Amino acid sequence: MSAPLCLDRLVRERRIIVCVGSGGVGKTTSAAALGLRAARLGRRVLVLTIDPARRLANALGLPSFGNEIRQVPLPDLPEGGGLWACMLDTRATFDDLIRRMSPDEAAREAVLANRVYRVIADNFAGSQEYMATERLYDVHASGAYDLIVLDTPPVKNALDFLDSPGRLARFMDRQIVRWFLAPYDEGRVFGRVLVGTSGVVFRLLGVVFGREFLEDLTSFFQDFRHLMDGFHERHEAVLALFADPGTAFVVVAAPNEPSVDVAGFFREEIIARRLPLAGFIVNQVHECGTEVLDAQALLGARAQAAGGDLPAHTVLSLSARLESAHRRLASVAQAEGPFLARLAAMAQGGPFLRVVPLLDVPIRDLDGLLELCARLFPPADGDAPIAP
Amino acid sequence: MITCLPRLMAAHLLFVTGKGGTGKTTIAMALARAAAAQGRRVALVEVDNQRPSLTEHFGQAPAYHPVNVGPNLWIGNVTWDEALEEWLGRVVPVPRMTKLILGNRMVRLFLEVTPGSREVVTFARLQQLTEAYDLVVVDMPASGHAVSFFRVFTRASSLFSAGPVRHSLDDALRLLAAPTTHLVFASLPEEMVVNETIETWQRLREGIPSLSMPLVVLNQGLIPTLSPGESVLLERLARLEPGPGADGRRRAELLRAGRWEAQREQATGEAMERLGQFTTMELLVAPLMGAGGGAADRIRRMEALLVRSGALLPGRPGAAA
Repeated sequence: MSAPLCLDRLVRERRIIVCVGSGGVGKTTSAAALGLRAARLGRRVLVLTIDPARRLANALGLPSFGNEIRQVPLPDLPEGGGLWACMLDTRATFDDLIRRMSPDEAAREAVLANRVYRVIADNFAGSQEYMATERLYDVHASGAYDLIVLDTPPVKNALDFLDSPGRLARFMDRQIVRWFLAPYDEGRVFGRVLVGTSGVVFRLLGVVFGREFLEDLTSFFQDFRHLMDGFHERHEAVLALFADPGTAFVVVAAPNEPSVDVAGFFREEIIARRLPLAGFIVNQVHECGTEVLDAQALLGARAQAAGGDLPAHTVLSLSARLESAHRRLASVAQAEGPFLARLAAMAQGGPFLRVVPLLDVPIRDLDGLLELCARLFPPADGDAPIAP
Repeated sequence: MITCLPRLMAAHLLFVTGKGGTGKTTIAMALARAAAAQGRRVALVEVDNQRPSLTEHFGQAPAYHPVNVGPNLWIGNVTWDEALEEWLGRVVPVPRMTKLILGNRMVRLFLEVTPGSREVVTFARLQQLTEAYDLVVVDMPASGHAVSFFRVFTRASSLFSAGPVRHSLDDALRLLAAPTTHLVFASLPEEMVVNETIETWQRLREGIPSLSMPLVVLNQGLIPTLSPGESVLLERLARLEPGPGADGRRRAELLRAGRWEAQREQATGEAMERLGQFTTMELLVAPLMGAGGGAADRIRRMEALLVRSGALLPGRPGAAA
């Protein structure tokens, strides 16, 4: 049995890191910071992200993300190290996939032009997650990177994309398609008599959904079925990749109720699926003592000296503000206590737990990201396990 | 004064949407309670939630047929399975046929994944609920899903030219466009969350121009009150060495708290400005709260804020003081 995995070994050794968690917990910035750290350790890293704030694109020195992989300009990287980033465009990835998997141009154009396909590609819940895994498979297979950090979409009920490629794949279910196309394969179409249970159900569907839709859908299935085997094979390969010992799942959370609930849910799911759970990153933690502080006594003299040119009441009013701000911060920090305790309990027995204090200012540039990196990887940490 | 609040209290259908952690459920509960206190019969529902978040607060799980949890207040969960069965029962009014359809695994799978069918049956159920209750408050799934949930009605219209699905889509669009239907956003004073709110608002306005989106609640905000002089002094003090010993640590902590609050105020100010610039929603700032009575207390405080901001009078929905 190897030593407990710490965050530092994670970015040194693993080949894929999957960041999961609810929205708004700094998942994307954490993924970027992990990638940045690995690049600074001399690895070639790709951060595959879903929905970065413009701020993060700026922080990485990129004018904007695109479906294209772009290198992040970083100074002072060691030999061999490099950071690349890519924002997932579901529609573009889907279209790419269809292009690659189609046997010929006619089949490809038929699928891309189909009305049902267009609605599915844009609207299916789950297609974003699926496309993320699809893209991951591709870049991993290319062998161009030592490490890929995957930032997953903020989904609540969550690891669906591991079960199947979501609703999308169920739609492409071989059995559904076969069932659906059976009357056609046997040379019967609308207007002719469909017999048996299947025929009755089929006619009912025509009544419920309208004949035109069923016809569109049938032609979609006909065009699409050549691609299906490829779909399923690739999905199997992606699943194998997730379970690989070179992969690690990191749950990112913030110390509030919804986020910790989601973290607990992810933990259970990851364990139940026997996937490699590496640990927890807790962002946005407020730190503050509970002692009541006297601003006048502590800062009065300094404020008088420093604020001589300011309006007379400024020193007094700022003192009052500081005290109330401190009470507020202490109260917020105190409210986070039980959630931190819950996360610590989740991390018991192996996974690491890294608590990251709230940054003073939001991450706006590379310096901000480096600051987050410094908090994720404190200098004293070295190779020692972080786990409790 | 938030002028749309009396209108929201007199509405028939309210959707509350926002990212996880924005206090969406708290706001939905507070809106439902405030309306119930005005004497309206309110159903507060979630949409096909496998782990209903209302359960813990009310001590019982919301059911497909809403359960009563207090004066004028019911909670429900519009589950897909039951909504589908009910909807099919109406469009295929031969029980044997309905059973045949529902009993076929392929058809179920097909119905489940066909674009729009999930949303159509869910919405048909919501419409029914609006007929049984004075007000239905819907705690929506996270807002990315809200966009696809609503836009499906316009997108799917291009797929279905006739039949019951088409009729239900048209019904849904009419209900969305009704002057008594509104969508309320929950947001936070954080750049990413605010951007997402703005983007969702814009996409919905393009997709469904007639949908009323009158209010955004900016949760955990602090309205800027720091004066320029205080700000200058705070920065000057923060630049000084805090000094040795326990007092040095205390100084540093006080100043850190001051800068944290100033940062929160600035972020709230920026969020208010951006929301005001890019949307036409009224904006209600719900103040940042720390430790306290937990969820129940949060909901009470949110309700009190709504009542105060809308100058709502008990027992008189739609009236303002």
